[in-house]
Amino acid sequence: MIEKSWLIPLLPFLGFLINGLGRSRISKKTAAVIGSASVLCSFILSVLVFFELQGSAETGVTVKLFEWIRAGSLQIPFSFYVDPLTCVWLLVITGIGFLIHVYSAGYMHADQGFGKFFSYLNLFVFFMLILVMGAGYAIMFIGWEGVGLCSYLLIGFWYKNDAYNDAAKKAFIMNRIGDLGFLLGIFLLIATFGSTDFTEIFPQAAGFQSGDGRLLAITLCLFIGAVGKSAQLPLYTWLPDAMAGPTPVSALIHAATMVTAGVYMVARSNILYALSPVAMTVVAITGLATAIFAALIALTQNDIKKVLAYSTVSQLGYMFLALGVGAFTGAVFHVMTHAFFKALLFLGAGSVIHALHDQQDMRRMGGLKKAMPVTFLTMLLATLAISGIPPFSGFFSKDEILAHAFSRDPLLWVLGFAGALLTAFYMFRMLFLTFWGDFRGTAKEKQGIHESPASMTVPLILLAVLSVVGGFLGIPEVFARQAHLLGGFLAPVFAASQEVLPAMHVPHSTEWILMGISVLGVLVSIGMAWSLYVKKKRVPAEDTVQRSGLVAWSYHKFYVDELYQALIVRPLDALSGFFYRVMDKRFIDGIVNGVGSTILAFSSTLRLLQTGRIGSYLFYMVAGIILIFLLNYLIF
Amino acid sequence: MTSLIIVSVLAVAVLYLGLFKYKTALLPVSVTGLLAAAAMAAMDWDLEKMYFSEMMLFDNYAVAFSILLILTTLLIFGLSRNYFEKISNNVAEYYALMLFALAGGVVMVSFHNLAMLFIGIEILSISLYVLAGIRRKDPASNEASLKYFLMGAFATGFLLFGTALIYGATGSFNLAAIASSGAFESALFRAGVLLMMVGLSFKVSVAPFHTWTPDVYEGSPGLIAMFMATVVKTAGFAAFLRLFLMAFAEASAFWAITVAILCILTLFAGNITAVFQDRFKRLLAWSSVSHAGYLLLAILAVGFSASSAVLVYTIAYSLASVAAFGIMILVSRARGNDHLDSFNGLARTNPFLAFTLTLAVCSLAGIPLTAGFFGKFYVFKVALAQGYTWLVVLAVINAMIGIYYYFKVIIAMYMKENANAVAIQLNPGFRLVLSIVVFLIFLFGIFPGLIANIL
Repeated sequence: MIEKSWLIPLLPFLGFLINGLGRSRISKKTAAVIGSASVLCSFILSVLVFFELQGSAETGVTVKLFEWIRAGSLQIPFSFYVDPLTCVWLLVITGIGFLIHVYSAGYMHADQGFGKFFSYLNLFVFFMLILVMGAGYAIMFIGWEGVGLCSYLLIGFWYKNDAYNDAAKKAFIMNRIGDLGFLLGIFLLIATFGSTDFTEIFPQAAGFQSGDGRLLAITLCLFIGAVGKSAQLPLYTWLPDAMAGPTPVSALIHAATMVTAGVYMVARSNILYALSPVAMTVVAITGLATAIFAALIALTQNDIKKVLAYSTVSQLGYMFLALGVGAFTGAVFHVMTHAFFKALLFLGAGSVIHALHDQQDMRRMGGLKKAMPVTFLTMLLATLAISGIPPFSGFFSKDEILAHAFSRDPLLWVLGFAGALLTAFYMFRMLFLTFWGDFRGTAKEKQGIHESPASMTVPLILLAVLSVVGGFLGIPEVFARQAHLLGGFLAPVFAASQEVLPAMHVPHSTEWILMGISVLGVLVSIGMAWSLYVKKKRVPAEDTVQRSGLVAWSYHKFYVDELYQALIVRPLDALSGFFYRVMDKRFIDGIVNGVGSTILAFSSTLRLLQTGRIGSYLFYMVAGIILIFLLNYLIF
Repeated sequence: MTSLIIVSVLAVAVLYLGLFKYKTALLPVSVTGLLAAAAMAAMDWDLEKMYFSEMMLFDNYAVAFSILLILTTLLIFGLSRNYFEKISNNVAEYYALMLFALAGGVVMVSFHNLAMLFIGIEILSISLYVLAGIRRKDPASNEASLKYFLMGAFATGFLLFGTALIYGATGSFNLAAIASSGAFESALFRAGVLLMMVGLSFKVSVAPFHTWTPDVYEGSPGLIAMFMATVVKTAGFAAFLRLFLMAFAEASAFWAITVAILCILTLFAGNITAVFQDRFKRLLAWSSVSHAGYLLLAILAVGFSASSAVLVYTIAYSLASVAAFGIMILVSRARGNDHLDSFNGLARTNPFLAFTLTLAVCSLAGIPLTAGFFGKFYVFKVALAQGYTWLVVLAVINAMIGIYYYFKVIIAMYMKENANAVAIQLNPGFRLVLSIVVFLIFLFGIFPGLIANIL
């Protein structure tokens, strides 16, 4: 089956072609069936690949498809590499992707661009699969750019709204900055190792000294790419704006899969990072800073999707913290659990938005518990999971990360723990504002409230089950020996780097204490949210109200957008205005137009030589011959 | 060799078919014969056979160019259904004359003796003189024929004179004997080289011997002009290069300067004059002059890479010219003339034609993804390898001028409206030939390796 794994990306691509080319002829129902079925088939194939890989002794299989680029000594074959790490991503992408496709069929049912939407979603899945299946950085880059394109297309899906188009452009441009870093990284890899293939690079790299300058440059460049794609400081600003896209897109692309591509890339390059301690520190600090920074912003946001977006940025920060402290398995584990509960939260939010006819402001919600029981219950479970309440999935993955952080430096743990408190607070704030209390919207909206159709609630329920039990894939040593199934499965991928990195050493007693503190803290945090938003029935102030102090900073997202505007956009605008007026208009246009008019003048004269008389033609000929002879006589 | 015999016999057979009024059989017989000829030529690959006491040599160079000439003629025949019937009663003459001209072309690419070069050129030229004037009642056609004949006779004189001088200097007509004669320093030999260069320059319309080109192209029927621009130019350049490669290569230091000067003159004369043309056929005639300039660049780079470059260039140029002239014929027939304004709004009425013509002129202009890009690329590459950087810079400037006038027709088709334009009807032959051309332009534009390394 692994040899045929190229079928996995091919199927969504066929779905894209059919839905894309026939979108004016194919009915909505057929489009939804084609779109979802192609991803479902890919999921089934991925499961088969998973079982075959688990049963085989090999750690990774390369499937070579064809020779792609050959330039001098550099050869880049187009091939796929399937190993446990790829497998985890395959299952997440196709599994969650399928559920979100089904959900979309219900969510988008009234939209005119239904077929287009499904074709884009399929295209996205195709590129995402290429990204995680590529056997080298070059193939990964194809997928990397492709998912960026799909993200752009889907953020601006409702292209008649200018603000949405701006959001799409912002996402694209911010990602380009990261992509440049990634590209430089690839070039450095080629210069250092003469290849872009994982199987060529990693064994060579294992022989390098720890702290080698070339590895440091490569890893930092690659990390810039990851920062762009995975929305870390300072390039995170596009992700909250990306919520302009339809909610299923936010769930699939901007929470569960695409934004974790950066984590995948760093995890894939684990040996390179393990040998560059400086880069590891940079990754850890960037991740932790992003985690706390985004959580602070999420505290005061009032748009339900914005809260989730900042929460995603924050959780991605945890994943990078994990990578930075060498907890590669923990990072992958958190990617997986986060995919479950964050996709569920987005889809639940979508269900709410759908019921309220595109109302996203939590100040206009409230009291939806009764009217939307399935949405409420599933979202409650997801919120418990993200807050880290045992035994929900988020508890296990977050605990693994924090334990590793503690073993590296207790300060990292303290800050990570603080972020977890913030997470619990803003998540329950969102939950309470949405489902508790009285309905605060208009009477007309109140009448229209309804539970969503089965095509939307069934995915919610399935994701809720995963959010609850997903954590049992990675039970830590303190609970049971050898129970970390995911860790066992992934061990061969990270074997080389685990030899380089110091092993985690936290005594079981300490780990129990840490766990206890974090659970206790989270419960207190939830209690504070409860007293504020349920007991005191606090509703956030309207936008027009002046805020002060830290609240204002958080509410205005620490003025980062304004800062970028003043520091980067404005000077660039001025510079380009200068170049347009002076360099382009005067200088370059002057040259071009001058050349053009000179040639025209020549042409109008030269064509007069063409008289049509044979006599003059023969004269030119003879004159030409005489000149040629004269010239040759003079030279030789 | 077999292919040459087939083409010649075919020409005679076609003439007889005409005599016995089997008009409908003309095209099928010609096409079958040409396919057979191409197949026989392909079988000579790698054989390197000498014929008739070293008069002709069928090496790979000869085979490749023979096949190119035969297949180009085949494409032109594909367009000729119902074309000649409209302008003449004696249709068989057309096919026969074109086949004779083709036979001359095959001789021109396979000669190994100056006598055969002369015979080849004359077989080709005399057929063309007649073909240019075949619209007997049309004064323009008569004028074209006469002009071409008078000037051609003049140029042949130089060619023969040059041949005689070289014989005088080396004592042989045989290319190998000339190359090994060691008489390169003698004034007789040098004068001979220059005179032969003049004679050949006339045939491939190199400035300042190009003046016949626009007038003759304009006066001749469209398909004949197409034949001149493709088959005749390819044969002429292949002969030019073969002569200078096999006989005069050792003396390249001497003749290279003159070729370089002719190259610059041709490029500028062709491109700059083309800028002001407002008739498409005349524009194509001037562009054919300018392409002779690019091809001269390759002749400067004596060696086998030059053969490859000329082969790629002539393939690309022939394909694009077949499409451009073909569509010019359709448009001028449907809309009365070949003025650039006649192309207005073609994109709306005939998207396929507009697309094909766009691709063709892009290929002529050397835009990437078309065969023409690689034609220019290889020619520039071999010239750069010989150190002619300044010449390539001038050629690139000319290529940019070229884009200006080539795009005029694209602008007319896509951006100008023509309210009373009606769709032009295409017969199946046209559709087939144009589709093949589109496919090949893309194929060689994306995979140039298919043709770049065969020589």
